[in-house]
Amino acid sequence: MPARNHSQWTAEPPLQQGEWVDSRIYSDQEIFEEENEKLFKHIWVPVCHESELPNAYDFRTTSIAREPIIIVRGADNEVRAFLNVCPHRGMMIERRPSGSFLEGQPSGNPKRMTCMFHAWQFDMKGNCVYVAREQEGYQDRLCKENVGLRRLRCEVKFGGFVWVNLDDSPKVSLEEWAGPAFECLRETLDAEPLEVFHYHKAIVNTNYKLWHDTNSEFYHDFMHYHNRVTGFNDAYFARKNEAFDNGHVVVGTFTVNYENYEGFESRAELSFPHLPPNQWYMIDLFPGFNFNLRGSALRCDTVTPLGPNQVLIEFRGLGLKRDTPEERMTRINHHNSIWGPFGRNLHEDLVGVVGQGATMAPKSEPRRILHGRQENQTIHDENGMRHYYEEWGRWINRSPTNPTQPYTPRAGAAGDAAVAAAE
Amino acid sequence: MNKNGADAASKVRDTIYRATVALDDEKWNDWLGLCDESFHYAITAFSPEINKDMIYLQGSRKEMETLVSHLPKHNTDHSWLRRHTSVYTVDVEDDKATAVSSFVVYMNVLDGFNSHIEAGESRLFLTGKYYDTFKLDNGEAKFVKREVKIDNRRLDKGSHWPI
Repeated sequence: MPARNHSQWTAEPPLQQGEWVDSRIYSDQEIFEEENEKLFKHIWVPVCHESELPNAYDFRTTSIAREPIIIVRGADNEVRAFLNVCPHRGMMIERRPSGSFLEGQPSGNPKRMTCMFHAWQFDMKGNCVYVAREQEGYQDRLCKENVGLRRLRCEVKFGGFVWVNLDDSPKVSLEEWAGPAFECLRETLDAEPLEVFHYHKAIVNTNYKLWHDTNSEFYHDFMHYHNRVTGFNDAYFARKNEAFDNGHVVVGTFTVNYENYEGFESRAELSFPHLPPNQWYMIDLFPGFNFNLRGSALRCDTVTPLGPNQVLIEFRGLGLKRDTPEERMTRINHHNSIWGPFGRNLHEDLVGVVGQGATMAPKSEPRRILHGRQENQTIHDENGMRHYYEEWGRWINRSPTNPTQPYTPRAGAAGDAAVAAAE
Repeated sequence: MNKNGADAASKVRDTIYRATVALDDEKWNDWLGLCDESFHYAITAFSPEINKDMIYLQGSRKEMETLVSHLPKHNTDHSWLRRHTSVYTVDVEDDKATAVSSFVVYMNVLDGFNSHIEAGESRLFLTGKYYDTFKLDNGEAKFVKREVKIDNRRLDKGSHWPI
């Protein structure tokens, strides 16, 4: 077909409902605000890994949907999460990304979370244990028992990741939320303790869902020279995209031939427990979390949407806690050769989604973004994204195809997970 | 420092600055030409987030040769990286020398978010220090080790190129 005029360009494509989305879902400020309120404040978010706070009184800070959060490990070794907000005058209690409360602070004592502003102190269970000049200021009208921190639902699960939910009464438990999607790697991830060895982050001008789309669809492997030479074979094209309840997708494994890329090596000797050599599993958790196991190294991406057209992506790399120094170094090299900030693939992925972000900037003309490849739910089928946007529509109550309209179920969508599971 | 030591230190500084020019100009083989066969390269950082020293990229001279030879096969951001290097210290001992330099790397945008708007702009990309080790031989200073210790953990699109 020759290049199209405007009416041809904006006409609906000859595909079925659900096989394309409207780009306003990637660029509209109102939709972004709804996503924070209706979605991110109610789902389980993997905020960090337990190895980032290995000792009692260690802490880590993060945020979900603009709400600052602190994760602490108590003297009882329990990991707990709280809003990182002082109940007095709203100061952020801990400003550093990580550290230990074993050390005293200028305004407070060791083993306490201390708000530097007015020296209110909290223990590792979130109890307020000190209000400066409490009796003089509040007499008997307000006491420490009235001003504990806001506790948050928090669990350590699926390989030691720390999961937080801002909703006190989430629709489903963490096990119900993600357990079935993790089943393919549960034995592997839970065989022994894992440890984070890599962290970096990107803030890029694109919508968070476009990053998750890139993690969900493998058709873009044409962009990666590395993946073409190490992966494109019959087993690769037979990999299945399996849909799970709650919008999650798992991409099945195959054997990667790393040595086909000059200078790279097989990862067989350092495969994670219970896995055959050089396997590659991918778990894409709705609405923006990715667990990617390539033989010897596990990568985890988490998104924090910052605006309709801006996202913070945090990248972690993990190995086994018991690694020898030599084993750890090998895992680091394997991880970073493709996934590090100077690696072969990650840079290409980020260039790709920034290019999408540029054409879908807020207030730009709405476009149709195609998710219509049908290949028997194999690797270049776009069923993963179709499954995702069906779930997104349910949560936001907007049609992904026309976000000015309320959500209506896509014909056959209810069977996404069931069909995949049956195959 | 005696005259020979001063000459050696001067040669070390010269080699560091020549490396900066070669890297700026993306003349990867000129850069590697300043490196000994035993050369080892690493980009490292400390992460307060996970409380660990990290290695973001590393390789032998042979591995770096392979890496740069593959660059034309990879998609990349075309924006130029421009380094400003200041050599802080040079210590010469026999036929070896070590040097510490500070650097900033600016990205002179070509691609950016939208090249129509952003191309031509320079923005800060990285800060850090080079920790270099040299072999002194026949009046030449050759890199045998370079650790590029960057302050950044936020790297946005990242890069395919040596820093």
